[in-house]
Amino acid sequence: MKRKLIAAIGVAGMMVSIAACGGSDSGDKKDKAEGGNKSLTVWVMDGSAPKEWIDGVNKEFEAAHPGTKVNVEVQQWTDIQTKVTTALSEDTPPDVLELGNTQTTGYAVTGGLADLSGDKDKLGYNNWSKGMLPSAELDGKLYAAPWWAASRVVIYDKAAYKKAGVTPPKTRGEWIDGLKKLKAADAKSQPIYLPGQSWYVLAGFLWDEGGELAVKDGDKWKGGLATPQAAAAMNFYKELQSYSTAPKDKDEATPQQSVDVVPKGGVASWIGLGWEAGGAIAAIEKAGGKSDFGYFPIPGKTADKPGSVFFGGSNLAVAERSKNQELAKEWLAFVTNKKQLESYGTANKGGIIPVDTSAQVTPEAGSFAEAMVKVAEVGRITPITGGWANVETEPNPIKGYMTKVLKGEDPQKAGEEADKVIAERINQQ
Amino acid sequence: MTVDSQGTATAGSQDAPGRAAGKSQTPPPPSGAKEALQPSRGRRSLPGGLLPYLLVTPALLSMAVLLLYPLISNLILSFQSVNRRELIRRETPWIGFDNYTELLGNSEFWTVVLRSVAFTAANVALIMAIGTGIGLLLNRLGKKMRLVLSLALAFAWAMPIVASVTVFQWLFDEQFGVANWLMRTLGFSGYEQHNWFETGFSTFVIITALVVWGSVPFVALNMYAGLTTVGTELYEAARMDGANGWRTFWSVVFPNLKPFFMITTFLEIIWVFKAFTQVYAMNQGGPDRATETLPVFAYIEGMSQQHYGVAAAISILTIVMLLVAMSFYFRLILKQEDEQ
Repeated sequence: MKRKLIAAIGVAGMMVSIAACGGSDSGDKKDKAEGGNKSLTVWVMDGSAPKEWIDGVNKEFEAAHPGTKVNVEVQQWTDIQTKVTTALSEDTPPDVLELGNTQTTGYAVTGGLADLSGDKDKLGYNNWSKGMLPSAELDGKLYAAPWWAASRVVIYDKAAYKKAGVTPPKTRGEWIDGLKKLKAADAKSQPIYLPGQSWYVLAGFLWDEGGELAVKDGDKWKGGLATPQAAAAMNFYKELQSYSTAPKDKDEATPQQSVDVVPKGGVASWIGLGWEAGGAIAAIEKAGGKSDFGYFPIPGKTADKPGSVFFGGSNLAVAERSKNQELAKEWLAFVTNKKQLESYGTANKGGIIPVDTSAQVTPEAGSFAEAMVKVAEVGRITPITGGWANVETEPNPIKGYMTKVLKGEDPQKAGEEADKVIAERINQQ
Repeated sequence: MTVDSQGTATAGSQDAPGRAAGKSQTPPPPSGAKEALQPSRGRRSLPGGLLPYLLVTPALLSMAVLLLYPLISNLILSFQSVNRRELIRRETPWIGFDNYTELLGNSEFWTVVLRSVAFTAANVALIMAIGTGIGLLLNRLGKKMRLVLSLALAFAWAMPIVASVTVFQWLFDEQFGVANWLMRTLGFSGYEQHNWFETGFSTFVIITALVVWGSVPFVALNMYAGLTTVGTELYEAARMDGANGWRTFWSVVFPNLKPFFMITTFLEIIWVFKAFTQVYAMNQGGPDRATETLPVFAYIEGMSQQHYGVAAAISILTIVMLLVAMSFYFRLILKQEDEQ
């Protein structure tokens, strides 16, 4: 045992010294690079920036700023908060970071993000969608440039719907009736694939009922799940979920519904984002199949208004400790100007709404974007407070609440347990 | 008989760790009496002067850098309030024992402690029982089968942990898992979409299967190595006295290999108690935090929730608990040395 340990420690010691050499090496190079030329490191999230688009943008930016090099690093959403926290605490953080719109204020309160209030004109602040702004501002200061937003719609298999004689529904009642028909027409497939922890979907139902995920109570926040509104929202979610055989204790990303579930077949409809629809189509085509998806907004309680949806999206922020803050701001302004946003929208086939809504590409008829743009006015976001990001960290209390209720626990009791955790987390900065 | 085996047992204690590491040491000739003489011979051949110290210096230095320094930093961190905000701002406010009092007064923490102890006890008992059984089997098998079994054990032992966790996850997957398929094929009902990770207990059963599977080879192979040192005449004598297999094990094998059992059990306790990868990777401590053992609890509080100070306090408390458990082992060893 001891010998093994010594050997292991010896090897580890060697590796550390090797790594140390490597570290100082690259450090030297960087210093040299910064002497004459400047480099920017940009973190973008997986699925946010189509490669051809961002490469094109950077080429243009580098041409406009001679001697500049932009490095793009693609990050995964899983455990991103831990990674961003660590990165922001370092001396050489990424200069520009893409942050989820529900997480941005959480970093703004830590002082890790540069204050962009003085650069509003340069960034084109006045052209920005007012709906996206709140997630980038805190106490009257601007900490990030909103970039894009997107929301979920129902994606359905046209063939399955046609076979069952179902047309896209306008109300929740029609939606459920359609699912019943789908089940009767094909007992083997799932009328809808809906895992138990798709909490952004639940948030929409909750808003439809007039409820909130969390509300301000005096100068403190408290959770909004132990309420009749949440129980009603969860009740509808449960009804929908009963038409799915998806796991009750997983979210839509485990297994990844777009590429691991839907392409396997047997799913008549599912709720997803634009990039998920694209991923599913690509996976089906890769397997030699052919997809024929239609899209409709999540139905509301009445036909005059579609269901509320969570406005997912991203902001671009500059790290406070960035060595090239001015250049980083230049890049930010460059990426969020109308021309780049238009090409960005085209690269995403209109599946996103750019921050400058005048740059919105007119969506094709029958496309994902067409269904999504219809719900732009009912898009909402999570509570705007620095503590909200804590609530979303795993284990996420909202997900736990959903699983419990789906398994038959009393919504009030499960809601109280979840609210306790939400209050604990949301009130710590 | 009894006196003789006692003697070999105590003598064995000196080279037991070496034997546990295995293979490099040539097994002494199969005679109890000779083995009893061996340690003193080993001691005489130690070189004197500065050389031993020089030889251990690199190991000690790297231990100081890689273990002692992080340990001390961790200890300091456990007395500070460091969360996401403090980490980014590089503030380290000193809060004394606040992290500890908060934890010790938290019922959730004690649930996790009890869970960890029960998890460790169940796993170590299973590992030791199955490992010993397979070790005995290896000793009795013919050459070919022994080779096959040894290879199988070595493969299980060599499998990277995360890879094996992924395999187990897929085996027990709710929608596409082979376990559900098997149960259905065998004619059990209710396994159409059975979720093996639905409850904490069921998740623990799968984690236990994985940990035991991964740890049994170590015990079995070492058990076999140890058995080769037990003289065949001892078995013969036992058989002459009319002892059955069970009796032979407890009267001949166990006393002879007592040091082996002790060191292996304690090593397994350490390994299982601090097993992180298997437990975390299987279901991230879920469902609903029901499979969080101490190391997983520390990780989730620290990395996921970004309460670095509290997480450091949890890990310090974990170390203290392990030290208490280990003190029994060291006391046993010291007592044996005194008796000698």
